[in-house]
Amino acid sequence: MADAVTQAKWDKLAPRFDSMASAGAEKRWAPAKSALFAEMEGKVLFLALGTGLDIPFFPKGLSITALDISPKMIEHAQERIAAYDGTIETHVMDVHDMAFDEGSFDMVVTSCTFCSVPRPIEGLKALHRVLKPGGRLLMFEHTGSRWYPFRYMMNLMTLITRKLGPDMNRPTVANVRAAGFRVTEVRNVFLDVVKTIKAVKAPA
Amino acid sequence: MDHRFGYVIGDLVANVALGALVGLLCWLIVGPSWNMWIAMFLMMAVGSFLGLVSFFITARWLGAMEAMVPMMLTGELTGMVVGMAVPMMPFTAMQGLIWGAACGAASMVIIWIANALLKGVTRDGRDMQNG
Repeated sequence: MADAVTQAKWDKLAPRFDSMASAGAEKRWAPAKSALFAEMEGKVLFLALGTGLDIPFFPKGLSITALDISPKMIEHAQERIAAYDGTIETHVMDVHDMAFDEGSFDMVVTSCTFCSVPRPIEGLKALHRVLKPGGRLLMFEHTGSRWYPFRYMMNLMTLITRKLGPDMNRPTVANVRAAGFRVTEVRNVFLDVVKTIKAVKAPA
Repeated sequence: MDHRFGYVIGDLVANVALGALVGLLCWLIVGPSWNMWIAMFLMMAVGSFLGLVSFFITARWLGAMEAMVPMMLTGELTGMVVGMAVPMMPFTAMQGLIWGAACGAASMVIIWIANALLKGVTRDGRDMQNG
């Protein structure tokens, strides 16, 4: 059962999400996202799909299972899904309550997702569960900062942005580790607030 | 830093313009008889707020964090420097503009240096406590 408050928040945002997010952030982050997503392989779970802004960065020919908590977001993603040279199967699903069997996927990929998941460690534990032993987690996320004054700015911004959508000050790398993954690489894309994270589930 | 020319220029222009605006506001708001410390803290808050508002305007072209972080820093730094300077010395509107613009440029240089130091692969993420 999807978290109704979170679902309503993203449904409300869906019609204007592209105008808010695409032109600036997506172009700026394109090189880092392309490099990260080039590693996608095998049976991939992607979350959260949103309006599909990440789809142009996906390698061709993959079979991807994509989730989003918001049916309105997935509605807006249809054109990009149709344009993808591969298969994208969508599900309206809450990461906390995924209906997939344990060890269903070779790889889980997230993009600006764990700034918004209400219970991030539990969400990451759910991803850990659906990954096969030895499976990889690839994340493109914005996070809090270790450094003054950036840490203070992220905390201040979160007071406002939390009402609209994401938190700006999440300790996502620590959360990944707390969920049971072994972090293999953290690459800062902008300062230490935009980063790619690679992690692995321990082999059986 | 992002080496794409449009973003380098865009970041710089946005922050110089914001700095000039905050510098001018400091001159307009702060009186010569104000306590220097009160003026500084008040204008830091005003500058940060303006940085935040400016972020919502410029993010569409300049990105998300790449717009937000420098602009809040510019607002804060300009408010601190010009807000403190106005009660300390005879200060004109033109000085407010110029000092503010210089603070905007300085903020961008700070961001470029910080980004050059922080960007890239960290040690297995072990040093990341807040990220």
